[in-house]
Amino acid sequence: MPEFDIDFTVNGRPVSRRIDPSLRLLDLLREGLALTGAKEGCGAGECGTCSVFIDGKLVKSCLMPAAKAQGASIETVEGLARPGELTPVQKAFHRTGASQCGYCIPGMVMAATSALRENPDAGLEELKERMGGNICRCTGYTKIIEAVEIARDVVAGKLPQTALDPEGVGASWIGHNTARLDAPSKVSGRLAYAGDMVMPGMLHMQVLRSPHAHARIVRIDTSEAEALPGVACVVTADDVPGEDGFGVFVHDQPVMARGKVRHVGEAVAAVAAESVRIAREALKLIRVEYEELPGLYDPEDALKPGAPVIHDYCPDNVVKHIPVRKGDIEAGFAAADVIIEDEFATQQVEHAYLEPEAGLAYVDHDDVVTVISPSQNITHHRHMLADILARPINKVRFIMSPVGGGFGGKEDMIYQGMLALAALKTHRPIRLIFTREESIACSAKRHPSRTRYRMGLTNDGRITAIEFSLLADGGAYGMSSEGVMRKAAILSCGPYEVDNLKVDTKVVYTNNTPSGAFRTFGGMQAQFATESMMDIAAERLGLDPFEIRRRNMMRAGSLTHTQQKLNSAAIDRVLDAAEASSGWEPGAPTVRGSTRGDLAGPGTRQPCTLGARFATAGADIETVKVAS
Amino acid sequence: MKRKLRGRGVAASWYGIARTATIDRAGAWAELDDGGTGKVVTGVTEIGEGILTLLCQVAAEEFGIKPEQVTIGDNDTARSPEAAHAGATRQTYMIGNSVALACREARGRLFDELADHWDVPVEDLRAFDGFAWAENTNKRMSMAEAVALCKQRGVVPVGSGSFTAHGTGLDPVDGHGSPWQAYVFGTQVAEVEVDTVTGEVQVMGIWAAHDVGRAINPRGVAGQIEGGVVQGLGQALMEDYQTSEGHPVTHGFAKYILPTALDIPEINTTIVEDPDPLSPLGAKGIGEPALVPTAPAIMNAIYDAVGVRIRSLPATPEKVLAALAEKRAHDMN
Repeated sequence: MPEFDIDFTVNGRPVSRRIDPSLRLLDLLREGLALTGAKEGCGAGECGTCSVFIDGKLVKSCLMPAAKAQGASIETVEGLARPGELTPVQKAFHRTGASQCGYCIPGMVMAATSALRENPDAGLEELKERMGGNICRCTGYTKIIEAVEIARDVVAGKLPQTALDPEGVGASWIGHNTARLDAPSKVSGRLAYAGDMVMPGMLHMQVLRSPHAHARIVRIDTSEAEALPGVACVVTADDVPGEDGFGVFVHDQPVMARGKVRHVGEAVAAVAAESVRIAREALKLIRVEYEELPGLYDPEDALKPGAPVIHDYCPDNVVKHIPVRKGDIEAGFAAADVIIEDEFATQQVEHAYLEPEAGLAYVDHDDVVTVISPSQNITHHRHMLADILARPINKVRFIMSPVGGGFGGKEDMIYQGMLALAALKTHRPIRLIFTREESIACSAKRHPSRTRYRMGLTNDGRITAIEFSLLADGGAYGMSSEGVMRKAAILSCGPYEVDNLKVDTKVVYTNNTPSGAFRTFGGMQAQFATESMMDIAAERLGLDPFEIRRRNMMRAGSLTHTQQKLNSAAIDRVLDAAEASSGWEPGAPTVRGSTRGDLAGPGTRQPCTLGARFATAGADIETVKVAS
Repeated sequence: MKRKLRGRGVAASWYGIARTATIDRAGAWAELDDGGTGKVVTGVTEIGEGILTLLCQVAAEEFGIKPEQVTIGDNDTARSPEAAHAGATRQTYMIGNSVALACREARGRLFDELADHWDVPVEDLRAFDGFAWAENTNKRMSMAEAVALCKQRGVVPVGSGSFTAHGTGLDPVDGHGSPWQAYVFGTQVAEVEVDTVTGEVQVMGIWAAHDVGRAINPRGVAGQIEGGVVQGLGQALMEDYQTSEGHPVTHGFAKYILPTALDIPEINTTIVEDPDPLSPLGAKGIGEPALVPTAPAIMNAIYDAVGVRIRSLPATPEKVLAALAEKRAHDMN
C-alpha cells in the first residue's frame, strides 16, 4: 500500500509524517515520535495502558489507525505537565503510592484525568466505573482510586494543596511512609521499560512457535526465510554452541525446540530482520516438518503405565515428589473423634503482568554478550546463558530493565537465549517484544492442583492427624516445579501444630503450557485446601472458625510440619487483629449469613452499581426538565 | 428467599521468608558520597513492590541522610555485587539487610575519622537527616562537611555488606528440616454478596491482618497487601487459564478475565509487627503471603452466605449457580 502524509498536533506541537497506512496510532507515537509513555499492554483495547486523548476524548491508541489522526489534536501522558512538573493527578498518584510496577500507570493517569475533566465532582462509584477500562495487576486499585479522589478534592479546593505534600519525618526513616522515589518517572511516562528502549542499527526479532502440543521435528528449512531481503539471520537450536538447557531446578528446556516440541507455543526458530514486519514475513517462509506424537493433557494420565514420555530423562513423567512425615499417622487417626475427607482443586492462572516479555541484546566492545530484559533472576540467567553460549561468565552480562510486573513469571529465561544467539550471529543489537497472545500462551502459569485431604479431630477441635496429597500439572518443562512442590509441602497443613501428618506433593510433566513460579509458589494451592477443611471441621464440631484455628495454632516452641522449632509465631496476633478489625460476630459456620449482625458495616463498599456515570447525566436531564 | 445474600468467612495462613530450604545470600556496596549524599550498589531490585524506596530509607537511616539523597546503582551482573533474585519474598529481608550492613560499615569509616577529629568516643556519634553530631556536646556538622572532612583525612567512606539466611534442606525421606529462619503469619476475613439468580459473587470487604516483621514503609506494606488480595480475589472468582488438548483458549484479556476497579472490595489492612531477631532490620516480608488466605476466606464466605462449598477454583457464576441448583435438589429430597 502506498504511504501517505498526515498532519496533526501532539501535545500542542504541529507534526507532519509520512506513514504506512497499516500503522496504528500507538506505533506512530511510540516508534515514530519516541513518545513511549503510552504502552502496549494487549493490542486489543482491553487493558488501557495505551490511552491518549484525541481531541479531548480518551482513546485506546492501539485500536486507532494512525491515518485517522489527520487533523487531530493528540495529548499524551508526556504532555499533561511541563517537563519536571506534575499535575495534581500525577502528584496524588505519587503521594498515595498508586504506582507499583508502573506499566499501567500512564494509562491510569490518562483515565483519571479524563474522568475528572468530564466530571470534576465524580463520586467514588463513578470514578471506579470511569477507570474500569484500565487494568492494573499490582496495586489492587485501592491507592489509585484514593489518589483520584484526593486529586479531585484538591482541584475543587475541598482539600488543601498540602494534601499532596510528602509526610514529615520524625526520629527515623524506618517506619516512615516515604513516597515512592520512582513514582515521578512512572506517573509521567518517562521510565523506559525494555520494549521502550532502542539502539542504533537495532534489528527486530519474531519467533516461530509450535502449533503442536507434542511432535517430533523431522526437519527445519530456513533457507527461504534467510534469503528474504531485510532478514539478518534465522536462529534455531542448531546455533547453540554450548550446553543447551535452562530451568530453575532442572535444565530441561532448550533455548529453542531441539528435536521435538512439547507444548503449543514453544519457540522453534527466530528471525532477526530490519523491521518487525519483515521478520513476520520471514516466519512464514520457514518450513518445519513435524511428526505428531500422542500428547498428555491430564496429570493423572501422566502417571498411568504406558503413558507417553515427555522427556527421555524422566520415563515416569514425575518431575518431583516431596514427602513430609511427622509422628504416627495411624495413631493420630485412631485418636480422632471425627474424620473428614474431601478434595480440592485449583486452576491454571496467568500472571498477566501488564508488560509483556521484552528484551534487547547486543555484543559490546569487550565482546560481552549483553541482554537487557525484565528478568527477575539475572544472576541465575547469567550462569545458564554462559553455559548455553560456551563463554566465560564475565563475557555474559544481564541487565535487569524496569520490570512491568513479574509475580514470578519473569524468573524463567524463555527468550533471552534467542536474543543472545542472534546478537552473536549478527553483531547487531536486536530487540524482541512479545504480543499479549504470545505472553499468555508461552510463559509459565500457576500450577493447577488437585488435593486429597483427610483430617482427624477430637470433639473439642484439636487436629490429631492430617493426610494430604497434592498432584500438580507441571506442563511441558520443569521450570520452578520442584521448588513449588517443596514450598507446598512445607506449608501444606497451615499455621497449625499437627503432631501426626503424612504429606505428599507431586508434580508431573504433561503437554500443557508449562507451570512455573507464581506469587506464593505452591503456598496458596495447599493452604486453600487446608483453610477450607478448617471451616468444614468447624461446622461439623460447632466451633467458631477463629476458635478452631486458635485451638490448633502454632506458638513459640511449636514444631512445624518439617519439625523445625519456632522461636515465635504471630498467628495469635493476626487472628486477634482480623477478628477485632472486622467486628466478627462469633458463631459456628453453619450458613448463618442471613442471621448475622456484622454484615454491611464499616469497612465494606457499596455493591457495584453499573451506570453510575449515567446516573449523573440523568440527574442533569431531570434538572433541565424541571427548569423548563 | 432474598435474591442477594451476604456472608463472611475467615482464613489464616503462614509463609516463609527468602529462598526455601537452602542458604540464601545477598551482597551490597555502599559509599557516603560528596555533598553528604549516598550511593548504594546491589544486584537486583525493583519489580514494582517498592524495594528501591525501601532501600533508600534503609540507607538514609544508616548513613544519616535523607532517602532522596541516596542513589541506587543496581541490576547489572557486570557492575554490581550478587544479590540473587527478585522473588521469594526475599528483597526486604535479604537485600534490605545487606544494604543496611554495607551502609553501616561506610558510616563507621566516617565516624572513626569524625571521632578522632572531634576527640570524642565514637559511640557518642549520631547522624540523621543530613547532620552528624556528638551526643552531649555542641559538636555538630552537616553530612556534606563530614564527608569532606573524612576525604581530607585520606579516607573514602565505603562499605560492603553480605547478608545470609540459614535455611537447611529437607530430608528426602521424612522431609524434616529448617527451610527458613523467619516466618510470617496472616489472617483475612472476607464479606461477600452472592446473587442467587446470576451466581455472581461480589466481595464487599476484606480485613487483612499480616505479620511483616518491622514495617519499613507501612504504606508500601498496605499496597502489597491490597495487590495480593486482589490477585487472590481474581483467582477465587474469575481467572481461569484454559487449554484444549494443549491449545490455549484464553489467549487475551477478553477471555482471561481479570479484576478491575469495579470488582474490588474495601480492603482494611492491619499490620502486625513481630520483628525478626536474626536480622539487623527486624523486617520480614509481605509480597507473596498477602494473597494466600484470600481465596479460602472468600470460599468460606460464600458458604456462609448460601450454603454451597466451592472446592474447585474459580467460583465462577456458572459454578455457583450449578452448586445452588444441586443444593436445592438435595434439599428437596
